[in-house]
Amino acid sequence: MKALIELLRVPSLLTIQDAGRKGYRKLGVPVSGYMDDYSARIANYLVGNPGNTPLLEFLIAGPSVRFNASAVFAVVGDVEVRLNGVPIEPWTSHWAKRGDILEVGTLKSGLYGYIAFAGGIKCERLLESCSTYPRANLGRPLRTGDRLSLGHALLTGREGRYLPPELRPDYSGNKREIRVVLGPNLEHFTEKGIETFLSETYTVTPESDRMGYRLEGPAIEHSKAGADIVTEPLLPGAVQVPANGKPIVMMRDAQTTGGYAKIATVVSADLHLLAQSRPGMKVRFRAVGVEEAQEILGRLEKRMEAIRAFLEGKMRAYKVKVGGKEFTAFAGKVK
Amino acid sequence: MKIKPLGDSALLVSFGEVIDDEVNVRVHAIARAIEESNFEWLVETVPAYSSLLVIYDPLKVSHSEVEVSIGPLLNAEGRAFEGRLIEIPVVYGSSYGPDIEFVANYNGLSVDDVIEIHSKPVYRVYFLGFLPGFAYLGGMDERIATPRLGKPRLKVPAGSVGIAGKQTGIYPLESPGGWRLIGRTPLRLFSPAKEPPTLLQPGDRVKFVPIEESEFREIYLEEWGEGVD
Repeated sequence: MKALIELLRVPSLLTIQDAGRKGYRKLGVPVSGYMDDYSARIANYLVGNPGNTPLLEFLIAGPSVRFNASAVFAVVGDVEVRLNGVPIEPWTSHWAKRGDILEVGTLKSGLYGYIAFAGGIKCERLLESCSTYPRANLGRPLRTGDRLSLGHALLTGREGRYLPPELRPDYSGNKREIRVVLGPNLEHFTEKGIETFLSETYTVTPESDRMGYRLEGPAIEHSKAGADIVTEPLLPGAVQVPANGKPIVMMRDAQTTGGYAKIATVVSADLHLLAQSRPGMKVRFRAVGVEEAQEILGRLEKRMEAIRAFLEGKMRAYKVKVGGKEFTAFAGKVK
Repeated sequence: MKIKPLGDSALLVSFGEVIDDEVNVRVHAIARAIEESNFEWLVETVPAYSSLLVIYDPLKVSHSEVEVSIGPLLNAEGRAFEGRLIEIPVVYGSSYGPDIEFVANYNGLSVDDVIEIHSKPVYRVYFLGFLPGFAYLGGMDERIATPRLGKPRLKVPAGSVGIAGKQTGIYPLESPGGWRLIGRTPLRLFSPAKEPPTLLQPGDRVKFVPIEESEFREIYLEEWGEGVD
C-alpha cells in the first residue's frame, strides 16, 4: 500500500526542502533548500536516506501528523515528540503503524526542526528540486489537511538509530561566534567600518526569514564609494550592508544578485549556526582566510561522514576525557 | 579585472563597477568558456552587469586551484555572444500601464511619445536576477527615465512593464514593486515546468512591440491557459 501521511495540525511555517536548486541561479532562481544542512542531513541519515532526500522543515512549532501505513521517521531538533501521546526521543528513528499519530512540540532552542521519513517525501520536482520557494510558485507552505506520499523504502533495519546528545549540534545559549571571509566589496567600507563589524556585537532581529537575517548593532561605516554597488551576484551567507550600516546576512531563499556592498561572507560550515539563531541572539563575527574556511568545512564534512557511518552501525563512538573535557572519538572505517 | 573570493565556495570575477555593453558581452563570453570546460568542481556561474560569480564545490577543489584553472579562460575576448532576438508584445497605458501618463508628464512628452521611445530600441538582457526570470535590460532612452514610486505597490501583476530611473524591466511574477508601470505583456516570463523555465536568457536581445487589448487577451489565454483577471 502506498504510504501517506496527513497533516492534522500545522502551527507555523512548514515546507518540503532538500539540498536546493542548482544550475538555475543565472536565470534568477534562488538556491533554496534546508536552512540547516547539518541537522537536515542527520535527519535523513537517521532513517537511512541519502542526505539530500526531501524532508519536512518546520519553524519553531512542529506539526501533528497521522500515518496511514507503516513508516520509519525521525524528528531532529531540541523538541518534545509524542507518538500516540507517549513521549519518544528526538534524534532517533522510530517505527509508525497505520493510524499512529505523531505530535511534534515547540523547539526549546534553535529555529528550524526537521522530520525525515524513510524513502523521503514524494513531491513534484520543479527545476530539479523539491525545495519550496513560494514567491515563484515553486511549491507552497504546507497546510492542515494536506496529504503527502512517501517514497518506497525497505523499512526493516532503519528504525532504532539514535544520535547521542554529545553528537548533536547545540543551538542553545544566547551568543555565537560566526566566522566569515572578508570581502569582496571592502573598498566600499572604511577601515573603521570593517573594525566595527569585526569587534562589535550584533543582534538577530525579528525581521529575519528564509531570505535573509537582519542584524541590529553599531552602524558599519561606508567609505566614499557608498553603500550601493553596481548590482552583482551573491550567495547565501553574503553579508550586505545598506546605507543604514546594519548588516543583512543573505539566507537560502535570497535573490541571486544584490545592489548593496558586501563586507564579508559567512563560511559554509557556520551558516547553519546562524540559520538556527533566534531573534535576540548576539552574534560576533571573526575573519578567517579562504583556505582556513575550506579546511573547517572539510573537517565538518569528515565529521558528517563519521556520524553517518556511526548511524549505519559501521563505526562506534566513544566518549574520551582529555584534560577534564569530554570528546567523542569514532573508531572503525568509513566505507 | 579583479578576482576575489565570495566566501569559501565562490569566486567573483569583476571588471569594475560599470554598466557597459562591451564589458557585459565579455562577462557572458567568459561564463560560456567556463561552463563549456566541464570542470568537475563547477556548480554554476552567475553573470551580472560587469561581474561573474563562479560557484564551485569547496570539497572538490581549493580557491587557488579554481583561480589557476579559470585563468586562461578570462581572456575569452572576441567570442562575442549574439543572443536571440525576442519580441515582447505589450499593451501600453490604461489599466495595464497606470503610470504611463506620469512618465509622459514627468518628461514633458505625450503618451504616444513614451510608447514610441520605449518600443523603438533593441534592448540587451544584461543578466537575470531579483526574481526568477527578471531581466536587467540595457539600452533604454534616457528621455523616458522616471524615478520609482515613493511607496511601492503591494501587488504588481505578472507581465507588467515598468521604468525605474534609467532602467526598464518586466515583472515575471506577481509581486510587490515600486517601478512606474507603463504597460503589460501577456507572455509568461517564468514557467517552472518548462526547460528552460525563463523566456529570456542572459545575452538575449529584446524588442517591445505595441499591441491592442484584444490581442493581449488572445495571447494571454494561450500562454496562461486562463483569461486575464
